[in-house]
Amino acid sequence: MRRVIDHDLITLVTRLLVGVIFIYASYYKIVEPAAFARSIWYYHMVPGTLINLMALFMPWLELVCGVCLILGVCYRGAIVLVNLMALVFLVALSTAIARGINIDCGCFKAAQASSESAWEALWFDLGLVVLTLQLLFSRSRRWMLTRV
Amino acid sequence: MVFKQAIILVVVTSVLAFGVNLISPNAIPYIGNYRSLYTGSGPIVPPEAQLGDPHFIAVDVAELDFSSSEAVFVDSREPQEYNCGTIPGAICIPFDFLPEGDLTPYFDSALGYISRDSRIVTFCSGEECDLSLHLSRNMQDVGYTDVVIFFGGSREWEKYELPIQRRIQCDE
Repeated sequence: MRRVIDHDLITLVTRLLVGVIFIYASYYKIVEPAAFARSIWYYHMVPGTLINLMALFMPWLELVCGVCLILGVCYRGAIVLVNLMALVFLVALSTAIARGINIDCGCFKAAQASSESAWEALWFDLGLVVLTLQLLFSRSRRWMLTRV
Repeated sequence: MVFKQAIILVVVTSVLAFGVNLISPNAIPYIGNYRSLYTGSGPIVPPEAQLGDPHFIAVDVAELDFSSSEAVFVDSREPQEYNCGTIPGAICIPFDFLPEGDLTPYFDSALGYISRDSRIVTFCSGEECDLSLHLSRNMQDVGYTDVVIFFGGSREWEKYELPIQRRIQCDE
């Protein structure tokens, strides 16, 4: 198991995959911050005064972390932040489903009412958590611009 | 080292996020003006409510029911008022036009033969209108077990800028 987690090639592929997912996910949110803000409001979890700040900050954090993962710059910091974000998404989706707010996640486009896609998004996010955890525990540092 | 890197990334992100928003054509205010649907005062309950009546719900609960798409919203007003503006997707069952006698077939037909344990939210125009209370009592008598009353009605719904479906243009 340890060898799989530390495998250079597996770590590289996971890094690139997670990096691309985060960069892709950030695109619509950066282009349409108002729509993303409404998606956040839809979850009824964030106080109204913080919604726009979060809508502006989160997508750029996704973009910056995605780029850092791919290039291997500020790598450890990016991994921790990516894991935190994946965890936040997981908690938000789970509690939304538990409270009957059946919407899709708003991960790649504005959130809409949809009971099936909420579950799909949850499974997708669980898969993402597995990938980010692999990166968190992997000791491989090959093919990175910096070694820390 | 990890903590230091994370701080650097957060600072860089903050500069980018809030800086780009200054020049972006799609800029949004840093502090949004979002309504808080949770009023803290609970649902509006009319003085004529009695023990055993269906539960009354506040606007935040009504909105959650609306978002979940699992509740059936029933407008208890006349068709004219319903057409002027109602909660999107609501069914019009005017209390004043209920037929005499057994209401079971009427409700079955009007509600599309939904199961008796389906969530039903009745509403009217606002606090001055008790049609939703009377209609929900009738529904409860027929055997619907999860009927609730949104007594704030379409006026409170509109007050919180929630979506309204207008079939005709009406004078205020």
